[in-house]
Amino acid sequence: MSVAETFYEVIRRQGITRRSFTKFCSLTAASMGLGATGAAKVAQALETKPRVPVIWMHGLECTCCSESFIRSAHPLVKDVVLSMISLDYDDTIMAAAGFQADAILKETREKYKGQYILAVEGNPPLNEGGMFCIDGGRPFVEKLKEMAADASAIIAWGACASWGCVQAAKPNPTQATPIDKVITDKPIIKVPGCPPIAEVMTGVVTFITTFGRLPELDRQGRPQMFYSQRIHDKCYRRPHFDAGQFVEQWDDENARQGRCLYKMGCKGPTTYNACSTVRWNNGVSFPIQSGHGCIGCSEDGFWDKGPFYERLSNINQFGVEANADKVGMAAAATVGVAVAAHAAITAVSRVKVKHDGKAPPKA
Amino acid sequence: MTELTQVGDISDSAGERAVARRTVYVYQAPVRIWHWVNALCMVTLFVTGYLIATPPDSVTGEAYNHFQMGYIRFVHFAAGQTMAAMFLLRIYWAFMGNAHASQIFYIPFWRLDFWKGVLHEIRWYAFLEKYPKQYIGHNPLAHTMMFGVFTLGTLFMIVTGFALYSEGAGRESWQYKMFGWVFSIFPNSQDVHTYHHLGMWVLVSFTILHIYAAVREDIMSRQSIISSMISGERQFRDEDA
Amino acid sequence: MTVQTPNGFNLDNSGKRIVVDPVTRIEGHMRVEVNVDSDNVIRNAVSTGTMWRGIEVILRGRDPRDAWAFTERICGVCTGTHALTSVRAVEDALKITIPENANSIRNIMQLTLQVHDHIVHFYHLHALDWVDVVSALSADPKATSALAQSISPWPLSSPGYFRDLQGRLKRFVDSGQLGPFKNGYWGSKAYRLPPEANLMAVAHYLEALDFQKEIVKIHTIFGGKNPHPNWLVGGVPCPINVDGIGGVGAINMERLNYVTEIIDRSIEFTDQVYLPDVAAIGSFYKDWLYGGGLSSKSVLAYGDVPENANDYSPRNLLLPQGAIIDGNLNEIHPVNLRDPNEIQEFVTHSWYKYPDETKGLHPWDGVTEPHYQLGPNTKGTRTNIESLDESGKYSWIKSPRWKGHAMEVGPLARWIVGYAQNKPEFKEPVDKLLKDLGLPVSALFSTLGRTAARALEGQWAAYKLRHFQNKLIANIKAGDSSTANVDKWDPKSWPSEVKGVGFTEAPRGALAHWIKIKDTKIENYQAVVPTTWNGSPRDPKGNIGAFEAALMNTPMADPNQPVEILRTLHSFDPCLACSTH
Ligand code: HEM
Ligand code: HEM
Ligand code: NFV
Ligand code: SF4
Ligand code: SF4
Ligand code: F3S
Ligand SMILES: [Mg+2]
Repeated sequence: MSVAETFYEVIRRQGITRRSFTKFCSLTAASMGLGATGAAKVAQALETKPRVPVIWMHGLECTCCSESFIRSAHPLVKDVVLSMISLDYDDTIMAAAGFQADAILKETREKYKGQYILAVEGNPPLNEGGMFCIDGGRPFVEKLKEMAADASAIIAWGACASWGCVQAAKPNPTQATPIDKVITDKPIIKVPGCPPIAEVMTGVVTFITTFGRLPELDRQGRPQMFYSQRIHDKCYRRPHFDAGQFVEQWDDENARQGRCLYKMGCKGPTTYNACSTVRWNNGVSFPIQSGHGCIGCSEDGFWDKGPFYERLSNINQFGVEANADKVGMAAAATVGVAVAAHAAITAVSRVKVKHDGKAPPKA
Repeated sequence: MTELTQVGDISDSAGERAVARRTVYVYQAPVRIWHWVNALCMVTLFVTGYLIATPPDSVTGEAYNHFQMGYIRFVHFAAGQTMAAMFLLRIYWAFMGNAHASQIFYIPFWRLDFWKGVLHEIRWYAFLEKYPKQYIGHNPLAHTMMFGVFTLGTLFMIVTGFALYSEGAGRESWQYKMFGWVFSIFPNSQDVHTYHHLGMWVLVSFTILHIYAAVREDIMSRQSIISSMISGERQFRDEDA
Repeated sequence: MTVQTPNGFNLDNSGKRIVVDPVTRIEGHMRVEVNVDSDNVIRNAVSTGTMWRGIEVILRGRDPRDAWAFTERICGVCTGTHALTSVRAVEDALKITIPENANSIRNIMQLTLQVHDHIVHFYHLHALDWVDVVSALSADPKATSALAQSISPWPLSSPGYFRDLQGRLKRFVDSGQLGPFKNGYWGSKAYRLPPEANLMAVAHYLEALDFQKEIVKIHTIFGGKNPHPNWLVGGVPCPINVDGIGGVGAINMERLNYVTEIIDRSIEFTDQVYLPDVAAIGSFYKDWLYGGGLSSKSVLAYGDVPENANDYSPRNLLLPQGAIIDGNLNEIHPVNLRDPNEIQEFVTHSWYKYPDETKGLHPWDGVTEPHYQLGPNTKGTRTNIESLDESGKYSWIKSPRWKGHAMEVGPLARWIVGYAQNKPEFKEPVDKLLKDLGLPVSALFSTLGRTAARALEGQWAAYKLRHFQNKLIANIKAGDSSTANVDKWDPKSWPSEVKGVGFTEAPRGALAHWIKIKDTKIENYQAVVPTTWNGSPRDPKGNIGAFEAALMNTPMADPNQPVEILRTLHSFDPCLACSTH
């Protein structure tokens, strides 16, 4: 068998019937919100394409994006890896190590120039010549750029690759940098989240392999199918928000009745992600459903928009840390006090210099 | 100085004739109406904006029966949209109205005497000048404040306000199409909230200063101020010696 | 030239130097260099953590109540254990007690992680060190079925099942696109399983992949998601409401049933798949007892899983606490995480700066200041290293030491301590496994021992899940629904200067976080992590760490195919993101 074997051939030879194949296609289409015509497209694409090589690289990160990926329930990750893509390189699970692993990168660049997908988890640090993340004795950033040069498309997994994530939180000691700041000549699909939802991850990959094109991206480079609505707008606790019913304290009666977590610092109103719709781990729950506010984990720089348990972010200006209300009230109070003082001085001086109704002397 | 006219047909009980003061028509009706509607909108926005970020204590019972946060937000958005619409009309009037109507929309940056005037007003407020100067429109310092803090500040609030509004209205709304670019500058809308919120305090501070200055100058600068924003006319109170 | 280390290893770096970089099937970035003698036996080992993010630096000045979220992101593989350690550290500092339900739920979360992490480690990170995927193609499905049925009642074991699977595997291999199995060391002499055992293992590799995503749903129920569920200082964020209005959105009967069902299946999987597989594979490698390293000398466990809330003393902990040194199993030393002379971190060979690098620092006084500098005998350049100079600084991992000793931590360490304490829960399963395999106790001190201890622990944890689930339900039944203590939620109620320490037994071993809080903000935060212990570079006295020690004296079948190196390193389940943080 050649490299050009298609996904359909693979699963037919596995004894999967035409019928269950069609069913699979419509489920995939439905999970991506593609409707009835989508299913036919999915089927057609899977029948005609060989498996796309995917190179999955790791920079500075915590590997939770990989962990999330393997939780995918539809499709199952074993089916993704065995039948939908060809995951030729992924340091976390691959059999080969050392130079045998490196050889795969070289081979892929030559054999599949312009045809492979580069999936990046984590990000490159730029301080110390990049040596806060060393791969094969060299800075990760070099390897990343090399592999990006010949990729057809690049996926930025998670908050790390998309925005910088925890290592880029202030003061970002390693100068960890989102990948779109070092790869500027290629389309990059950001799939943010810390980590992203498993089915969103597999949904994005299979979208590309199925439709042979990149998903529609929004202004911030995220697939709009999964990231165009806020947690808040699809949150099942929203009626309590509108009603003005909030959890006022952890484990209070409001909490037990599932009221809105806004006052506990929920960042759902400023967070774009699929959690309140797709939910986590095959739809079992999501942060808010389990009683904790959203911390905004799919948003740019969310680590520095805390504290997590307050509605208002702290801003750190002039070495003092306070939120907009504290800063604003202090400013307004200062103005108020100054005005009062000014008024007092004015009154005193007015007693001294009685207004004589005369015009001032000409200058 | 132009001369004062003795007004013959007005006299007090002692028979002394009243002095007719020079009066200039400064604030045309659209400006005055706009001013007070805008002031009302802004105060409403201050109150509701604060409550959006710090909601009142929870109401009890089923959510179905309440819409407290909903009303607060509704009032905020209604006041915000009114304010924005009025602001557009005010811009229109800047072109159509008298010379004073456009004053708050620009700074005569290259005019030296303007900056001298600013300096003079600063000295006046610092009690370093004995006498204030008189102006038909805003004094240069007020002018600077009006443009730099009020006009730009209001514009900022409108832009960020509509950007925030577009989050609920959706990606296909005209609000997102017109103001979505804000999220290219601040990709995390939490930042937009923070700056929108800070903007409120800038305008609150402006308002405090502004009202104080209006009252003070009304008393101190020998010209009508507060009533000018009601009648439109500026009256200069000085008599020639 | 040979040097003897104080902890008893003879290092000789004169032979051929072999570099493995990247080390794969681990979390994060790691490099290892060994010298082999003319018989291809490893005589010197250098292990290097090759990444650093600076979470300790980033935490300074932040709200202690937020720290769990930052530290949780130290690692997504052992997700949650850092968060738990962090909330414990903050609670210790501020003297916050948690409700009984919160303790049970936290234990359930932690045990869920143990079960999940151990299974994923064994099947998806470690198995390919023992299992030859390609050899599975030549297995007889019938014989495979017979083998499977002889070791376990697990129902997925018919000849047809294995035939189908073999077919799928064959077509996959034939496609020419080998994916993650590409360039593996298939056919190496280091592999010893018959084709049938290989086929069975491949089947379970895929089944475990399906099942692991179920286990974590326990985290999703209590913590909202996995990886990286949510936690709370003072308790847990999920409220309990089994019988009231709005209970549908809280921990209610449906949620509890969901958890119970997953626990039952986890017990089944560890009983019927995981443990039998480890025993079966182990039986073919009985004489490959290399890789003992420090396990026969110095092991350390902090203990974890408090039976009752708020008591972290060893007698209340279900996982044992204690230190063993110089291989003396008869003496178990108490461990005091607050004593400035017990746990100390050194940076002589690490890429950090201390005012005085001959001395170690207790974590409360710990300093994290990066300082990348290579030794004089490094080959290559600063940004293109060919081989490292272990006489200088050579790793992003610090060197923690307990009373000056390099220690091994992890499931094996815990089980050795439990065994030495004669706790039946630990002793009996170990003795049974050893007896089944016909091996002496000393066989525990090996690569295989580490892998076996992890499997035993996975099973133990699955049963303990049931224990705490029952306890949680009983407590709710008794009328207690409380999940959080908010007395000290408000920072205004905090003293101006406090310090605390929180500890857990993470899947990979003893973990602790030390925190200093000043004026409601974090003043200093230090984590000493299992892989920091195991993967540590040398200390000023020259003691080598557990990874390096375990690689020593292992013969390699072919130095160009580092199967043995990977096998032993993997038995620790290295996590580099954890180790350097
Ligand atoms: C003087 C002008 C305004 C002031 C002082 C003001 C003040 C505020 C404040 C303090 C907030 C809370 C921000 C936070 O989350 O911390 C807010 C939110 C908001 N404002 Fe305004 N605002 C003004 C104008 C506008 C305008 C013109 C609009 C446009 C319709 C607008 C729309 C919004 C929206 C959509 C929100 C977010 C509501 C939510 O998150 O539920 N605002 N405003
Ligand atoms: C939110 C509240 C307010 C805002 C944002 C505001 C804003 C403004 C602005 C922008 C102008 C300049 C109008 C122009 O030149 O087109 C102005 C003028 C004026 N405002 Fe207000 N105003 C507020 C409240 C008030 C109040 C409460 C008073 C009365 C005490 C007041 C008295 C005046 C007066 C007297 C002028 C004319 C000043 C002059 O002649 O130089 N304003 N105000
Ligand atoms: N080493 C380590 Fe961890 C564990 N287990 C944590 O403390 O893996 Ni990422
Ligand atoms: S985005 Fe978050 S979850 Fe993913 S690797 Fe980074 S830190 Fe981990
Ligand atoms: S819980 Fe959060 S996301 Fe849900 S309605 Fe309340 S604020 Fe919005
Ligand atoms: S914290 Fe993250 S997981 Fe979803 S609900 Fe918020 S984006
Ligand atoms: Mg540390």
